[in-house]
Amino acid sequence: MTAEHTTKQRHPLAGKTMSGAEMIIQVLVDEGVDTIFGYSGGAILPTYDAIFRYNAAHKRSEQVRLIVPANEQGAGFMAAGYARASGRVGCFIVTSGPGATNTVTPIRDCAADSVPVVLICGQVPCAAIGTDAFQEAPVFNIMSSCAKHVFLVKEPGELEAVARTAFEIARTGRPGPVVIDVPKDVQNAAGVFQGGGLLNLRGYHDRMAALAAARVSREQAKAFYEMLARSDRPLIYAGGGVISANAARELRAFSQAFNIPVVTTLTGIGSVDTTSELSLHMLGMHGTAHANYAVEDCDFLITIGARFDDRVAGKVSDFAPRAKYIAHIDIDAAEIGKVKAAQWVFVGDAKTALADLCAYGKHFKKDFTKWVRHIRELKREHPMNYDREASLILPYYVIQCLNEITRGDAIITTGVGQHQMWSAQYFDFHQPRSWITSGSMGTMGFGLPAAIGAKTACPDRTVIDVDGDGSMRMNLGELETVTTYDIPVKIMLMNNLGDGMVRQWQRLYFGKRFSGTDKSLHKKDFVKTAQADGFEFARRLDDKSKVKQMLRDFVAFKGPAFLEVMIDQEAGVYPMVGPGMSYREMITGDYINKREEETPSPPPEEVIDMTKIPDLF
Amino acid sequence: MEHIITVLVENKFGVLAQIAGMFSGRGFNIDSLAVGETQDPTVSRMTIVVHGDDKVVAQILKQLNKLVYVIKAEDLTAIKFVERELMLIKVETTAKNRREVLEIADIFRSKIVDAQHGSLTIEASGNGDKLAALVDLLRVYGIKELVRTGRIGLARG
Repeated sequence: MTAEHTTKQRHPLAGKTMSGAEMIIQVLVDEGVDTIFGYSGGAILPTYDAIFRYNAAHKRSEQVRLIVPANEQGAGFMAAGYARASGRVGCFIVTSGPGATNTVTPIRDCAADSVPVVLICGQVPCAAIGTDAFQEAPVFNIMSSCAKHVFLVKEPGELEAVARTAFEIARTGRPGPVVIDVPKDVQNAAGVFQGGGLLNLRGYHDRMAALAAARVSREQAKAFYEMLARSDRPLIYAGGGVISANAARELRAFSQAFNIPVVTTLTGIGSVDTTSELSLHMLGMHGTAHANYAVEDCDFLITIGARFDDRVAGKVSDFAPRAKYIAHIDIDAAEIGKVKAAQWVFVGDAKTALADLCAYGKHFKKDFTKWVRHIRELKREHPMNYDREASLILPYYVIQCLNEITRGDAIITTGVGQHQMWSAQYFDFHQPRSWITSGSMGTMGFGLPAAIGAKTACPDRTVIDVDGDGSMRMNLGELETVTTYDIPVKIMLMNNLGDGMVRQWQRLYFGKRFSGTDKSLHKKDFVKTAQADGFEFARRLDDKSKVKQMLRDFVAFKGPAFLEVMIDQEAGVYPMVGPGMSYREMITGDYINKREEETPSPPPEEVIDMTKIPDLF
Repeated sequence: MEHIITVLVENKFGVLAQIAGMFSGRGFNIDSLAVGETQDPTVSRMTIVVHGDDKVVAQILKQLNKLVYVIKAEDLTAIKFVERELMLIKVETTAKNRREVLEIADIFRSKIVDAQHGSLTIEASGNGDKLAALVDLLRVYGIKELVRTGRIGLARG
C-alpha cells in the first residue's frame, strides 16, 4: 500500500492550503474510506464540519457516508464489522474525553482479534492538554495499552503523514487498530497539503518489508514435506490469520492437494467451507466433538494463523498429545513459541506460505486415505446433536432452521455467550468473512453494531445478527441506528432470560448459584423496544410449530427486521472442554456421542535435522 | 537470569510510555531502565534490565520488536558487551571517620562531588557488582541518600 502513495503521480490537491480537519478527510478518502462511523462533540467539531463541507462539494457517488451511533462504542463495533466483512480498514471518528473512552472496548476488541481500524479522536487544544480541561482524557496513555499504535499529533505539519501512516500500520503485518488523537487547534491549523508521504518509521518499515518479502525456502519446504512424509494423520489447525491474510483459497487448495483435514478456531470459521468433506469445523472449548477428537488423534498439527489460545489449547501440555510434529505459520513472530513450541516455523504471510508450500509440494505424494476415512467416521459417529423431540424451542433447532433458509450464504454476527457458540456450531459457512464475532475479547454487545457495519460494507449480502438477551441489552441503543439509516439487517434475539453462558458455568462449577445472571423477572419487552425504535417487523416467537414459517418471513422482510425467539432457558452449549482441561475431559452432553478414550501414548521421539529457520528480527 | 536489553527507538512523543506499557500490560517486570538520546537526535536508546527465563526474555524481545516506534531491540546478554551504571551516594561522616570514607571512595576510583559537615557525596560508576560492593562497605557509616541511573550498555566492537 505504501508503494501506491510513493509511486502515484502527484495528488491533484497537492500544494493546496487546507485545514488539518480537511486534510484528515482528504486522506481518509484517498485511503478508500467510504463510510465514517462516529459521534460528534466539542473537540472534533472542525473535523465533522469538514465532512459536511466535503460532502456538500462532491456529487453523491463520491460522498462519504456518515453513520452516527447511539454510543461511541457502537461506532467502534460498526467500524470493526465493516472491516471484518470487507477486509478494508474501518474508520470511526469521535470527540475527546468520554467520546474517546467509550471506544476503548472496541479498540481493544480489534487489537485482540487483529482487525484493522483507524480511530480519530478529537482532543482538547494543545495548550489545554494536561490541565484537566473539559472533556479531557489521557487518550494516548489509555489507548497505548490497547491499540496497535497511537499518535498524539501536536505538530500540524505532521498530521497529514500521520493520518496516512495510521492506515498503513492498521493494515500491514498483523492488522490492528490505530488511534490518532488530534487536538482541536491542530484540526483548525492551516497548512499545505502534500498529497503523499508517510512518517519515517525505520524499524517498523524494515520489519514490514522483511515480512512482505518472506518466502518459504527450499530447505524449509524440504523439512516440511519430510515431516509430512513421516506422518500418517496430518491435521490443519487454521485460525483468524488465514482470513486476515485473505488466504482461504490457498488454504483450501493446500488442504485438497494433499488430502489434509482442517479444524478451525472460532475466528477461523469460513476459511474452509464448513460443509466440505475435509472440514471438521471448530475445535476448542466448544468445538465439535469430531474436531476435538481429530486433534487428539493427529500426529502432525499444521498451525496456520492461529495462536494456541487458552480457549483452544485448554491444558497446553495435553493439547494434540499424539502430534510428533507441530508446524506454525504466523505473521507475528511473537506468537511463535509463545504457548506451544513448534518444530517448523514460518514467520510471514499465510497466503504466500501456503502458495509456496503448494508449489514445492507438487510432486509430493502420500496417501492419507485411511486418516480421511477415520475423519469421516468421526463426523458420522460424533455429530452435533440435540433433543429433536423437545417441546420448548431449542436454540440449535432455530439456528438449523435459519441455516436452511440462508444456506450458509448469510453474514452472521453475534454477541457473546451461548448464542455465539450455538451459531458457530450450527450455521454453515461457505466463505470467509461471513462469520463476524468477538473472539478473543468476548465483548457482549458486539453483534448489533457489527451487523450494521457489515451490512454497510456489503449491502448485497444478507446480514443477520444472532444475539442473546444479555448481549442485546449492552448496545440496545443501536436498534435506533438501524432504522434511522434504514439498514436492512436482521436481528434474531434468542432470549433465555439471563446470561446463559455464565449460568452454564454456575451450573457446572458454582453449585447452581445463579448470582446476578437470572433475568426471568425483568420487565423488558424487546419487541416493544424494537417497535418503539421504528421496526416494522418486530415479532416474538414462542411456539415451536411456527419457527420455520416465522423465520422465512423474517428473512424475506424487506428492510430491518427484529425477531425475538423465546428459547429453553436450560439449553446448554455442548461439547464443552472445561477451562484449563484437556480434550480427553470433554463433556458432550446427552445428545452427542462421546467416545471411549484410551490414554494417548506419547509420540515417539523423532528428530529431523531441521534447517535453521532464519530469524527475521 | 538477568538480561540487559538494549532498545533503539524513534525519539517520539510517548515512546517511553508505550515501552513501559508493554512491560506492565504483559506482566513483565523491569529492574532498571535508562533512556537517552543517541548521536542521532531522532533516535533514543533505552537500556532495560529484566529478570526471566529464556522463554520470557525471548517473548519480551519479540513484543518489543512489534512496537511501531521500536527500531531494534536486542539482548546484550547474548553477545559481548560493556555496561556501566552511575551512582551518587551521600554518606554520613564524622571528623573521625571521614578519612576512612575517602579511602574507600579512592579504592573504588570514585569521586567526591560534594562535601559538607557531616556528609560526603560520592560519585561512583561501574558494573553492578562493583557498585554493590561499594554500597556494602559504606553502609556501616550510614547512607543518607542514594540514587542510581540504572544500567546502560553497548555491544562490543
